[in-house]
Amino acid sequence: MRERVERQPAYVLHERPYRETSAILELLSRDHGRVAVVARGLRAPKPRFARGALRALQPLECGWIGQGEMGQLIAVEVIGLPQAVTAMQLQSVLYLNELLVRLLARNDPHPRVFDAYAGLLGDLPRANAVLGFALRRFEKDLLAELGYGIDFAWDLATQAPVREQGYYRVDPEQGVFAVAGPGRGALPGGALLALAAGVLPAAELLADLRRMMRSLLLHHLGGHGLQAWRVLRSPVPPADPA
Amino acid sequence: MATASPLLDALIEALRVLPGVGAKSAQRMAFHLLERDRPGALKLAHQLALAAEKIGHCRRCRTFSEGELCPLCASPARDAALLCVVESPTDQLAIEQATGYRGRYFVMLGRLSPLDGLGPEELGLDQLARRLGEGEIRELIVATNPTVEGEATAHYLAQLARHAGVRASRLAHGVPLGSELEFIDRGTLAHAFGGRLDLI
Repeated sequence: MRERVERQPAYVLHERPYRETSAILELLSRDHGRVAVVARGLRAPKPRFARGALRALQPLECGWIGQGEMGQLIAVEVIGLPQAVTAMQLQSVLYLNELLVRLLARNDPHPRVFDAYAGLLGDLPRANAVLGFALRRFEKDLLAELGYGIDFAWDLATQAPVREQGYYRVDPEQGVFAVAGPGRGALPGGALLALAAGVLPAAELLADLRRMMRSLLLHHLGGHGLQAWRVLRSPVPPADPA
Repeated sequence: MATASPLLDALIEALRVLPGVGAKSAQRMAFHLLERDRPGALKLAHQLALAAEKIGHCRRCRTFSEGELCPLCASPARDAALLCVVESPTDQLAIEQATGYRGRYFVMLGRLSPLDGLGPEELGLDQLARRLGEGEIRELIVATNPTVEGEATAHYLAQLARHAGVRASRLAHGVPLGSELEFIDRGTLAHAFGGRLDLI
């Protein structure tokens, strides 16, 4: 069945060459979820579409004709300016895009994920100091939207709220369980409560949260971690973008 | 679709390794070679085998080369203090043909791209870091494409250069020569405006 979609808010997640001058774009659209479309002649010397605009970070309105797995791009409208970002933030965008391609099934609409993604990109220039935490919140909301949500403020071991001073482990399928004390895989209650409330925790807790979210994501990715975790490691020590 | 010949099926399957070639195209190619051009098929098979066996990578710049060193790296006429990093041999060729650049190259054969599984190891960036550490290079010219992946790669290369105390520069982004401002896409124009240069 052919389906015609018009003026659909979307972002480009990934582009790969296809045939001589075409490209296959993975789009994140608001009402149709992740879709793959062929952009005919995109890589030709005189492309039909604005080449410079069809890239990650640029808010777009796209039209396509869908047929089965792969649609064909028929119209692209540029909405506003692309986000101006630093190289560090760019790496976070590459990370996010891989995460979305890996976790979202094609043609499965998640308008809230789209809005959260758009919001996060919009916040990037301001989010520098707290970028890591903004990513953690996005990951938490993404998992919740996909049905893997966890209540980070509720301890299943004691059936009581998580305590600031306690230590916990997080089971990816079930949730939070109290443990005896600090140790391998244990994380402080303060970090969990901050994530649950969406309030920036103390700097030293951010690394704990990143490690914990990574293990959750790894579980839901079926054990095959993201390439971004390996690829985007910095050549010289500074902070990790993902 | 299975044909009457297992060999033909195997050929069709083998042709599908080419990018953009699906079952239908592969079938068309196989039938063409067998029906109309058997000498061409033999020549293709011979050249493919030869190329796959004999063509390796230049030890210095990673571009495709039959010898240990490619002619460019082996040439004493090139300035060893300048190193231009490009994504692909076609990019290298474009720069060779368009500019009077007399330095050497490093060909990554890709760009940092998590979704394509390309990281620093795949691009030989550890090798590049060692070369920067040798102290012969004074300027690293980053000529990655102005895509999101290309920009992230440029950032990575800049970090490598800074770490080794080597000056890093990159190609300018701007208005194409002979074009008119009113027809330039907004992103490019915004870049060109932001990166404007002093006159005189």
